[in-house]
Amino acid sequence: MISVDSKSDDNESLRFFCLGGGNEVGRSCHIIEFKGKTVMFDAGVHPGFSGLNALPFYDEYDLSKVDILLISHFHLDHAASLPYVMQHTNFKGRVFMTHPTKAIFRWILGDFVRITSIGEGVSATVYNDDDLADAFDRIETIDYHSTLEIDGIKFTAYHAGHVLGAAMFFVEIGGLKVLFTGDYSRVKDRHLYSAEVPPEKPDVLICESTFGIATFENREEAENRLTRLVHGAVSNGGRVLLPTFALGRAQELMLVLDEYWSENPDLENIEIYFCSALARKCMTVYKTYVNMMNEEIRRRFKTENMNPFNFKYIKTLRSLESFEDFGPCVVIASPGMLQNGTSRELLERWAPDPRNALIITGYSVEGTMAKTILTEPLEIPSSNNPDIMIPRRLSVDEISFAAHVDYEQNSQFIDLVSPKNIILVHGEINPMGRLKSALLSKYAKFRKTKREVKVFTPRNCDDLRIQFQGMRVAKALGN
Amino acid sequence: MSSTIFYRFKSQNKNSKIAFDGTGLTVFDLKKEIININKMAPATDFNLSLSNPDTDEEYKDDNQVIPRSSFVIARRYPSSRVGKGNASRYIAGKPRVSKTGRGNLAWDNHNK
Ligand SMILES: [Zn+2]
Ligand SMILES: [Zn+2]
Repeated sequence: MISVDSKSDDNESLRFFCLGGGNEVGRSCHIIEFKGKTVMFDAGVHPGFSGLNALPFYDEYDLSKVDILLISHFHLDHAASLPYVMQHTNFKGRVFMTHPTKAIFRWILGDFVRITSIGEGVSATVYNDDDLADAFDRIETIDYHSTLEIDGIKFTAYHAGHVLGAAMFFVEIGGLKVLFTGDYSRVKDRHLYSAEVPPEKPDVLICESTFGIATFENREEAENRLTRLVHGAVSNGGRVLLPTFALGRAQELMLVLDEYWSENPDLENIEIYFCSALARKCMTVYKTYVNMMNEEIRRRFKTENMNPFNFKYIKTLRSLESFEDFGPCVVIASPGMLQNGTSRELLERWAPDPRNALIITGYSVEGTMAKTILTEPLEIPSSNNPDIMIPRRLSVDEISFAAHVDYEQNSQFIDLVSPKNIILVHGEINPMGRLKSALLSKYAKFRKTKREVKVFTPRNCDDLRIQFQGMRVAKALGN
Repeated sequence: MSSTIFYRFKSQNKNSKIAFDGTGLTVFDLKKEIININKMAPATDFNLSLSNPDTDEEYKDDNQVIPRSSFVIARRYPSSRVGKGNASRYIAGKPRVSKTGRGNLAWDNHNK
């Protein structure tokens, strides 16, 4: 019923074109075309590259064709090139994201413009504050579980877990159904919902593959290991650095640490800092959107009249200028991958002392310091002057709190969604390849039957076409 | 800095320019400038091509001189393999002087 043909230009073939995030993590941007309609998912930047080269390969696609652009969540690798697309290209489409994503987007990208302007205006060639403001005004919002229909394109947003505001998009064009997961997680954590399985089955699933076939340590073990490590280091007179993106995992880690501190009076005099220019603004947004978080958070908010984001033990700092670095402490600082800025500055300052500890809690992209330091090099280059090497004696640990899916969670979700075509994105080439093999062998029993499952792993700018010959049938079923 | 060459990345809706002294720039130097100005280094994952907007013809010879006041279209596209992008050549400063056949490139090392 379904055949794949790389040359077919038939009206009933779905074209998938990846401008970024194909066989890589970073600069997500995927395009689907069907029956003359074009939908784009995400417009990110790559944290491992700089300037114009951090963008998806926009030169390879005529962006004026895009009808609708859906942004899955506020992370830079999914949203940060949106002002570029809206202001500096021929894009004429409409842009949608959820309310919390839009609220946070503004602050995050303002910060992005500011950080990337340091050092001779890198962002000047990408976009500036005015571009951001103009773009922001034209972004439209969509509620979870509401369906919009624009010019024959129907789309619905579902909870994706991952971070506040993150959405999966279920898109329907001319009877063809496509689900884009964005980044998603299936574990209910301290503040978010886990990703939902949409009520309808898509023909095509565009799915993240960040962790490939890896298995996560269970959440309780990860928390225990984290708190033990932190407790050990500070009792020993050490400083603990937790680099995270300012929003998302940072709030989850703060919920964990604040609770742990309240249970361990001996830690009372040890300060925990959340050092981020965005900190205060972010906390406001988190407090505002408590109603979009999971039942537990909302229950505490309602019945105990307590906003869990009013932390007892965590102090926020706008910048390192107001930080008095006198003794053992814990600092949560961005960026999460230690490319530059606050977390990098602290790393360089604390790296020589073996009492200090660095704990990486998120996913580290190829080409960033976070990825490099996991190999425990004896020295690291200074970010201001790469010729200067700094000895690295602080301990380095990785404890994943990444709000993504591991193999078990991903393959279970895929089973529930049961698509016949799976397009893997948002994964480095090896983990993605292993996930593909694992899925293919899992579904090997359906080969050459009606339930055959195809798995695609397109690279950036590969032209993928999937032919649907039974579209009328699918339409009838859909209605 | 009396001379200019105008360029536009294919996806962009505005032109940019490069200022320099002299009557023209080689394709090599122009690419190097575009990569620098747009902070695209390190650049191991992409190719950069320049072409003539009127004829659509790509400037393939790094030593060809683009006269001042010209307008060129730039295009960034993925290299076949990470680490194999041609753009890194322009940062390293090694122009390709002649193409004597596939897989047999002569390099000019005078910039080293
Ligand atoms: Zn994300
Ligand atoms: Zn992501």
